[in-house]
Amino acid sequence: MLLSTVIFLPLLGVIAIALLRGLGASAVKGIALVIGLLTFIVSLGLYTGFDATTATFQNVTQQAWIPGLGTSYHIGIDGISLWLVLLTTFLTPLCILAAWNSIEKGLSGFMMSLLALETGMLGVFCALDLFLFFVFWESMLIPMYFLIGIWGGERRIYATVKFVLYTMAGSALMLVGILALYFQNDNSFDLTTLSGPFEHSHLLFLAFFIAFAIKVPLFPFHTWLPDAHVEAPTAGSVILAGVLLKMGTYGIIRFCLPLFPDAAAEFTPLIVPLAVIGIIYGALVAMVQPDLKKLVAYSSVSHLGFVVLGLFSKNPAGIQGSVLQMINHGLSTGALFLLVGMIYERRHSRMIVDFGGLAKRMPIFATIFMVVTLSSIGLPGLNGFVGEYMILLGSFVQGAFSKIYVVLATAGVILAAVYMLWMFQRVMFGTLDKTNEALPDLNAREIVVMLPILLFIVWIGVYPKPFLNKMEKSVGLVVTQVQTESAIGRAGERIQQDTELALHGTQRVQREKIEKEAQQ
Amino acid sequence: MPIEINWQLLMPELVIVLTLLIVLVFDLFDSISKAILGWMTIVGAGIALWVSIQMHQAGTVGTQFNDMFKVDNFSLFFNIIFLVSTILVALISMSYLSRDDRKQGPYYLLILLATLGMMLMAAGNELIIVFLGLELMSLSLYVLAGYFRDNPASSEAGMKYLLLGAFASAFFLYGIALIYGGAGTTNVPAIAEAITAPNKSPLLLAGMFLLIVGFGFKVAIVPFHQWAPDVYEGAPTTIAAFISAGPKAAGFAAFLRIFMEALPSLQVEWSSVVIVLAMLTMTVGNVIAIAQTSIKRMLAYSSIAHAGYVLIGLAAANNDGISSAMLYLLVYCVMNIGAFGAVILAKTEDGESLMISDYAGLGLRKPLLAMFMTIMLLSLAGFPPTAGFVGKFYVFKSAVQAGHIWLVIVGAINTAISAFYYLRVVVTMYMREPEEELNFTAYPSTLVVGLVLAAIGVLLIGILPSLMLTPAQNSVF
Repeated sequence: MLLSTVIFLPLLGVIAIALLRGLGASAVKGIALVIGLLTFIVSLGLYTGFDATTATFQNVTQQAWIPGLGTSYHIGIDGISLWLVLLTTFLTPLCILAAWNSIEKGLSGFMMSLLALETGMLGVFCALDLFLFFVFWESMLIPMYFLIGIWGGERRIYATVKFVLYTMAGSALMLVGILALYFQNDNSFDLTTLSGPFEHSHLLFLAFFIAFAIKVPLFPFHTWLPDAHVEAPTAGSVILAGVLLKMGTYGIIRFCLPLFPDAAAEFTPLIVPLAVIGIIYGALVAMVQPDLKKLVAYSSVSHLGFVVLGLFSKNPAGIQGSVLQMINHGLSTGALFLLVGMIYERRHSRMIVDFGGLAKRMPIFATIFMVVTLSSIGLPGLNGFVGEYMILLGSFVQGAFSKIYVVLATAGVILAAVYMLWMFQRVMFGTLDKTNEALPDLNAREIVVMLPILLFIVWIGVYPKPFLNKMEKSVGLVVTQVQTESAIGRAGERIQQDTELALHGTQRVQREKIEKEAQQ
Repeated sequence: MPIEINWQLLMPELVIVLTLLIVLVFDLFDSISKAILGWMTIVGAGIALWVSIQMHQAGTVGTQFNDMFKVDNFSLFFNIIFLVSTILVALISMSYLSRDDRKQGPYYLLILLATLGMMLMAAGNELIIVFLGLELMSLSLYVLAGYFRDNPASSEAGMKYLLLGAFASAFFLYGIALIYGGAGTTNVPAIAEAITAPNKSPLLLAGMFLLIVGFGFKVAIVPFHQWAPDVYEGAPTTIAAFISAGPKAAGFAAFLRIFMEALPSLQVEWSSVVIVLAMLTMTVGNVIAIAQTSIKRMLAYSSIAHAGYVLIGLAAANNDGISSAMLYLLVYCVMNIGAFGAVILAKTEDGESLMISDYAGLGLRKPLLAMFMTIMLLSLAGFPPTAGFVGKFYVFKSAVQAGHIWLVIVGAINTAISAFYYLRVVVTMYMREPEEELNFTAYPSTLVVGLVLAAIGVLLIGILPSLMLTPAQNSVF
């Protein structure tokens, strides 16, 4: 019941706004913000009530929905989806607040789209029925389509159509995969009763994986992302980067790995190079971008490459790191898009050459930007480091793919420092252009938007234990599922050993953190 | 032996005949406002709909007239589809006719006659009855397509439809003749009994292919679809909505019954043909729709593509396949009439806005119209939570069950292709600025009522599909 409330509360907000839109802009904004905050507060109940000692789904609701099709309304969360739900409910009110003054036309439509989008995303993370999952997965496209297409930049129509068509092309195949699974699962779409091995598991794996890879986006399916990110309004970019991309990686954890371990093992040598190419390529392209927003967009390609790499390491350290990195990326890239949006509202430009020396004029902005930049690079003590470190550690000891890839991926970390710091230097230091002299620093509303994100950036960086604790069991279950079959006849023992090694590694990292904490 | 007539079985048809006569009589008096004829049509069809639903729930089964006419849940479910279409079309027609000051009497009369023809087709247990129904329906439609006599496009549409339709009827009749030659009977169950033996005479096969050609023309399956875009574009918009909905469903009703009940032993032969036709129909319809600039032509090609999705259900040839095709037809009729209704709603002072570019900027200036259009187009594209998604999903599911994975893959890719042109209209409405200011006329209330009903139907079936899904599953022969 609690979970259903969280999912459908935003939809209630949509209806409320539709009915009360006549009351004026401030009422619409107020309703949206209140609903957004309320959803977040209610969703905190999921966290406090979460039992970290079990990997089973919690807060489960199951009700007959369309018996004729064999589907039910079946939702629940585990330690992985819990974090994505919280990330969604956390970022949405911030986006509403960030869009407070920047929407000139159709404000009520904007807020309705944003809230409808929230329901769609939450549904994707909570659905335990394949049909329900697909319904949320597809219906979430419509509000995003409007967000980019109506309130976006100059090339918004091109960007939004490309976004929708790419996603639909992927999900068309996933639909076929879902149907094929249904008939192998005793005519049921229930995710919790699905257990392999399945016939044609390679094709099924691909049907799901391509849909998710487009969403992530994994190189070479990434070309929609820079367009969509750059053209979307700030709130749209934040949601897109912060949550939407995670639907792809979430899908990989939830479906591709545990359901088709065989196929996952076989395709690993193909996917890992793509992830590494994404890391390096995204970073290199980000480096040469003249546009701030495009730079952040390409950095997403690079960061998500890390997440995929960690997932396919198939050991606890790597997957926990990946889940953590999903949250981290949501926070830091979300924050970066918010900051870029704030400077764009002031200067109506995102070109790096138009700026310089802003640190003198806007000290608060510069400070916050600095923290977020460092978090994105992965500076120890901030959130990015923990996730990337665990991913690299997990990947390095895993052994099923060459360590060369891990070395190359590590180079991506260095490249991230290059493009982020270089950008920061060009924007913040140097001589202040005359046109930028009158730029005001952040106002109270904007600081309120940024502070919660900064809090979590530091928290996860310094003390990630509560975050890792809750996901540990669920990740462990995924690891056992993905390894049960790939272990058979496939250098199984070696993987086992490596896994244990990686587990020790994780624990060591955690222990070190705790000790460091204690010393401080 | 005297023939006993069970009048109760014939209730829906009798109600329509009665309505038809009342409309005919009332049309004679000039002193009566002709607007009332439309309401009579709606009330009559409404009563017939209510009766059909009652009979469907009671699970009425029976045959009449020496086994020529069969009432069962299958025919009753199709009655529901036809009558819902007729009511919706009558609702969107009223203001459309009166604003151009057209003669209303014959219009509603012909619509009712066509509806009667469709009901005969769905209940036909005998190839001759199916043919009679088909002709009754088609002849009415030929006249309706050319109803605006002073409009050359309308006349051309009527003529074209008549010529090609006559060809199709000839093919169909020839097919019946050959099947009679092969099986020695035209009674549907008797044909099935006659060809259980392994002798698949060439006569039967030839007859079967001719039937496919005949149905292919009537329901606009590629490569027999050429007439559809021209007729839809030229015919009055309400009639385009009507032709694209009920008659297509009626064609499929007879198609399903004859092929599943009379020719199951030839399934190996026809199902591969149907699979190829389904793939062709979906792909050609959707790809050509992308290139259209006129909204009526775009909807015409889209309706061709939708016939392809229904064919998937027939190709599956299992119980779920039949009920999914039926559910799809119901959903399709509602959303397609809704889409045409939205086109009628977008009337400017110079006439209808038929170019997609005319819709630019409607999202902000005419939010209600844009919302109706968007709901219908999203449903046609198959986005959840609309009825179009449920329909498509169920059709695909039945085909996967039958093992036609490739057919489903082609269908799913086609869904993505179709999203492109449906969304383009939405893009135009919400995301483009108008090039010139068009003055849209006020909304006629009956039209809005029709659209509201269609929108509610589309969303309700989308969110609670069991409402129509369970009846459809209970309607398999």
